[in-house]
Amino acid sequence: MTTKASQDPLALSNDFVSGETNFIKVDNFKFFYGKKEALHGINLEIPSRKVTAFIGPSGCGKSTLLRNFNRMNELIPGVRHEGDITIHGMSIYDPSVEIIALRRRIGMVFQKSNPFPMSIYENIVYPLRIAGQNNRSILDETVERCLRSAALWDEAKDRLNDSALGLSGGQMQRLCIARAVASRPEILLMDEPCSALDPIATAKVEELIIELKRDFTIVIVTHNMQQASRVSELTAFFYLGNLIEFDDTRKIFNNPSMKQTEEYITGRFG
Amino acid sequence: MTSTAATSARNFFSHAGKKTSFLRLFRNHFLTGLCIALSLLTLVPLFSIVVLVIQNGLPLLSTNLFTQLPPAPGMEGGGFGNAIVGTLVMVGIALFISVPLGILAAVFVNEYASASWLATLVRFVAKLLTGIPSIICGVFAFAAVVMTTHKFSALAGGIALAILILPTILLTAEQSLMGVPYAFREASFGVGATPFQTIWRIVLPEAMPAIMTGVMLAVARAAGETAPVLFTALFSQNWIKSIMEPTASLSVLIYNFASLPYAYHIKLAWSASLILVALVTLSNILAQVIFAPKHR
Amino acid sequence: MYKEPAKPHTLSNFTTALDHLRSSVLRMSSLAQLNLKNSIKGLLERDDDWCNNCIAEDEEIDLLEMQIDHEGIEVMSRFHPFASDLREVISSIKIGANIERIADQAVNIARRARKLNEQPELPELHLLDNPIRLSLGMFDDAVSAFAERNAALAIEIKSRDKELDLLNKKLTDILINKMQDDSANLPSYLNLIFISRCLERIGDHACNIAEDIVFAVRAEDIRHLGKQ
Repeated sequence: MTTKASQDPLALSNDFVSGETNFIKVDNFKFFYGKKEALHGINLEIPSRKVTAFIGPSGCGKSTLLRNFNRMNELIPGVRHEGDITIHGMSIYDPSVEIIALRRRIGMVFQKSNPFPMSIYENIVYPLRIAGQNNRSILDETVERCLRSAALWDEAKDRLNDSALGLSGGQMQRLCIARAVASRPEILLMDEPCSALDPIATAKVEELIIELKRDFTIVIVTHNMQQASRVSELTAFFYLGNLIEFDDTRKIFNNPSMKQTEEYITGRFG
Repeated sequence: MTSTAATSARNFFSHAGKKTSFLRLFRNHFLTGLCIALSLLTLVPLFSIVVLVIQNGLPLLSTNLFTQLPPAPGMEGGGFGNAIVGTLVMVGIALFISVPLGILAAVFVNEYASASWLATLVRFVAKLLTGIPSIICGVFAFAAVVMTTHKFSALAGGIALAILILPTILLTAEQSLMGVPYAFREASFGVGATPFQTIWRIVLPEAMPAIMTGVMLAVARAAGETAPVLFTALFSQNWIKSIMEPTASLSVLIYNFASLPYAYHIKLAWSASLILVALVTLSNILAQVIFAPKHR
Repeated sequence: MYKEPAKPHTLSNFTTALDHLRSSVLRMSSLAQLNLKNSIKGLLERDDDWCNNCIAEDEEIDLLEMQIDHEGIEVMSRFHPFASDLREVISSIKIGANIERIADQAVNIARRARKLNEQPELPELHLLDNPIRLSLGMFDDAVSAFAERNAALAIEIKSRDKELDLLNKKLTDILINKMQDDSANLPSYLNLIFISRCLERIGDHACNIAEDIVFAVRAEDIRHLGKQ
């Protein structure tokens, strides 16, 4: 890493190395909601351009960790953290890192699809507009690029000015993915993106996830173990705020090393 | 086989025993009927008012009402154009003061510091203010504005009305903001929007229809209030020339004319009532149309 | 290494289905053990009744093999097993197939025994004693290893296979020599060779079962290790 001051640490660098093994590095990370310690010293290295799945029972801290990558958790009053998270070797908590810039570099897709009550077009260009970009041709180009990468272009190209709320549940979620990639992030965080979708819409989103990993580092939280085994290359199992096991997805689902992991994935929990 | 099925069916359906079923049915129908009757009953005063106002106000209705000044006592003819304008002006002043203040306060209370002591205090005071009689607002504006400027004025009337409607606007705006799903804010923050951008571009537009409903309620109240205006704007027989002079208003005109012993003036008061009702209704419909949610 | 799941599944249906599959495999294996013993009894005691018994009971085993396949597929389609559960289902299906082959070999032995019984008894019949003891022992131990999820025992079974192969080869050589001297009893010698061959095959299937058990318990693939 070059010196902090010389460049925006989170900007898309030209010398970006595909296949960085410690792209996102979580270093003895602890997180507190008030006095309650939700994460107990997590150590984790997430490689770039791979799909990493976080699994574990509710309340195990997987979403909490995910929401720390773009510091979304800081919207909740009374939270604090110890330890560090680095991206490209740069701490996301470094005073020189602007939280707004961080979130522009990291797209996020939520459990419940949440398009804005605007047109499809305006939904996608929202991240650009708030960044002060109003050039019509750039906006048009972005809309097409994002809708294409979200596999929604053919369905939506004739109704760009229609309300986004008129789309089906699966289309809405893909629109949210399109919006999440509008600011050309490197990382996509997905917090149970298919939990409200039917199996066909789920399959489309999963197919999209596999497509997107060529360009993005994807971290997905899911309760659906079949989904984790289908889309991810690496799987992390969390339990009670601890990272129990982190390994190749095939290893986790065929022959996990830890007893708790085995019990969880075979359905012998609690 | 069939006989056992029939028995099973009988057993299955026999739980609604005959003795209880009649009573239950009766009670059900009786209560439904009662609800309908009571709902209709609430319509009676409402309709009576509207019918009465239309019946008594319609005979004198003409363009003269809007363009001419009130007649002197005992005279006939003329209208109350100055009172309509005066009401519009004072309601306008009230809105000009209280809408931005109320909405901004609501934004602060709900978006920025919902758990802070200041927000709690603001909420408490607003709730307290909604319960304060309108005449107190008038007395306050009288003391604060009329006494200091040494004259009754439209401005003082507007300020009195502003104080009156501010808590309504603030509380309805806060409720409207609360009604905006958190998911929208999350989505906006998620793509790197600042709190200001999130509120300005997402939350406020989404809450606007509901906020406007609150504003319209406030307008209806402000336009119809007599007491605060009586103390502060007084009345005037002439067209308004400046907001710093006594000004006529529909509500005070109704109050004044209705207590006069002249039949014509009483009729004018009825017409003024009709126009007041019409104005409030019209502005309500307009606001609904203009601020209707576009993407649903 | 995490071997035996200590807890039942949260979904009791799942546990029930897996237990049922497992008990089907155990039932099939004890039936096959019985059939094999009956055919050997028919051979050594020169009694056709035992042989007929073995041949008649084989149908039951074929049905059980199909039942195990169906149960295994049902567990997979209904419960989507992962990790040890998945391995258990897969290996149960494979073990079922191997037991069926062992039962077929028992039938072959019974058929050959009936033919031998028609002819005068040959003293060479007792050359089969050792291979019989060895192959039956391997199969019995494979069944025990499955019942106990005992991977160590399963690995040990594999090591006995060489001895059985060697015995089979020696026995074949001896019997071929005898055939040249005593051509009158040539069909009987041939039948003995075939029975020896069947016993050798039973040993192979027992080894396959042992390999599946090791896979189910330890997630290790110990097949073809020597050949690589």
